[in-house]
Amino acid sequence: MQPQILSKITYFLPETVLIITLIVCILADVILKKKSLVVSGLAIAGLLVSGYFVYLQYGMEASLFKRMIVIDPYASFFKFLFILSTIFVLLFAVSSKEFRDAEHKNEHTYLFLSLALGAFLMASSVNMLMMYLSLELVSLTSYVLAGYTKKEKRSSEAAMKYIIYGAASSGIMIYAMSLLYGYTGTMNIYETARILTATGTVSSPMIIIVLIMITAGFGYKISSVPFHFWTPDVYEGSPIPVTAFLAVTSSAAGFSVMIRFFATTFLKSSAFVAGSWQIIDGIKWTEIIIVLSVASMIIGNFVAVWQTSMKRLLAYSSIAQSGYIMLGLVVANQAGLTAMFIYLVAYLFMNLGAFYATMMIANRLNSDNIEDMKGLGYRSPFVSISMVVFMFALSGIPSTAGFIGKFYIFSALIEKQMLWLAFIGLANSVVSLFFYVKVVKYMFLMKPDEGYDSKVQYGYGGYVMLMLFAVPTIFFGLYFVPLVKFAEASASFFGLR
Amino acid sequence: MYSDYGQVLIFLIFALGFVAIALVSAWIVSPKRPTKGKYTTYECGEDTVGETWVKFNIRFYITALIFIIFDVEIVFLFPWAVVFKEIGMLAFIEMAAFLLVLIVGLVYVWAKGDLQWDKPQPEIPKLDREIFKAGN
Repeated sequence: MQPQILSKITYFLPETVLIITLIVCILADVILKKKSLVVSGLAIAGLLVSGYFVYLQYGMEASLFKRMIVIDPYASFFKFLFILSTIFVLLFAVSSKEFRDAEHKNEHTYLFLSLALGAFLMASSVNMLMMYLSLELVSLTSYVLAGYTKKEKRSSEAAMKYIIYGAASSGIMIYAMSLLYGYTGTMNIYETARILTATGTVSSPMIIIVLIMITAGFGYKISSVPFHFWTPDVYEGSPIPVTAFLAVTSSAAGFSVMIRFFATTFLKSSAFVAGSWQIIDGIKWTEIIIVLSVASMIIGNFVAVWQTSMKRLLAYSSIAQSGYIMLGLVVANQAGLTAMFIYLVAYLFMNLGAFYATMMIANRLNSDNIEDMKGLGYRSPFVSISMVVFMFALSGIPSTAGFIGKFYIFSALIEKQMLWLAFIGLANSVVSLFFYVKVVKYMFLMKPDEGYDSKVQYGYGGYVMLMLFAVPTIFFGLYFVPLVKFAEASASFFGLR
Repeated sequence: MYSDYGQVLIFLIFALGFVAIALVSAWIVSPKRPTKGKYTTYECGEDTVGETWVKFNIRFYITALIFIIFDVEIVFLFPWAVVFKEIGMLAFIEMAAFLLVLIVGLVYVWAKGDLQWDKPQPEIPKLDREIFKAGN
């Protein structure tokens, strides 16, 4: 037993590095007191080292710790995503006014790190208990982060709402897992798939209950309708870097575990070798995902139209975006998985960018109301133009990364003869254009109020950060071959080749 | 497959039935001679003071939380001690790492001053003006 664990411990290096960084950051914070830049720098250095180890094991396959977690290109892809977004959000936090004024200066650094660690484990776990545990690690950390600014009433309210929703839905999910365990007698999802395949046509009503209850847990993490009620309030109440982190990293982590669960547990185990996705007879999980996805797109987009707060608008927009991403899972083949990967990368840059621009504006104007952004195009052209780029990317206008993501998702749907779903998606994109362009309208087509038309000044760091998001958003929209190749190479599960 | 769950159901019925029978028979059989002393709330022999629904100091929760962490640590230490000889050095290193992480947590709580128990400063009422002169 021990040699087996020890020989494979090298595969666990990225996570180990993260854990060590976490401890070092805590100690550094205790010793150095209020030098927040040092702690953030240490965290970013640790993340980069961890990213290097992920790069080294990219393309490898192994299972660790008695098949609790696996290393495969799929997990590595998500780990890259998590590292990138965590580094960005840490940089975010440096220039955040809410964090600078917070009582505990550096606490966010190691909270972000432990969330990243949980996300790492989520992406690579193949055991239902491990999935649940890592999901809880991410959730518990995000509850604390949501209530980070203790003295702000809205922030505490957000944390409270978040914890109640989170506790309920994860409780429902673990119950579903216990039912599935009772049915098959195993926690490993590969074993579960083997037993379900051997059953032949699964017609037990319990499987339907399991499917519905387990999507409650995953759906809450990716904030899909009808498990989305926490999203607007939490996004509005938490500090903006935390909101961005929840919208990108936490929901990507939710997708990582959800896709792996559905694409392994309910596929014929003989298909693992062939690389094709054959769903076990009688288990109709794609239907459930279709319902969730269509509902998320419609409710997310239509409710976003009425929002006046930029943060709430982005919250509803991210509900809609998770609907688009789920369309890739509905397709249930390699093309769909690749499309989801491309969309997730595009989503990382454009959504983080949109949040960063919002934060820069909110730091200066002390408000994230869209009406207060009147005429901002004249007052701070650079930030406003970047905002326009992100808004267009989110709505999927060509020559941005968002377009490429949507294009691949819809083409995968059309290939699978699901024209009507592709049509619903397209129609929703048109609706989304309305509220994304509303922001642009306020910025550029309306004159600022009298007395409020002075130029707004920002530091150079802010401009550099905006470029970090805006340049890839446009670059991947124009030259997307490397992105697509990377996504195609990563779209392979452990033992599913 | 379903018969396995059937066992659980039978167990559940028996458990509920046992509780019900025990409670009901005790209620029927037991003598009832209430006195005033029997009806008072048990609080380790002290006389009860005030309502049950009082606000606890939030610091109790923090202390309890820290206690739980080290309580769970003990749960891990016992099985570890049992198999320690078989596994040897590896077990020692693993447990040392585990304890180190916990100690870092304790150090953090300590350094941040969360173990400090600030006592409420009682405000002693002072008289600004002298109403009652001495000797009057």
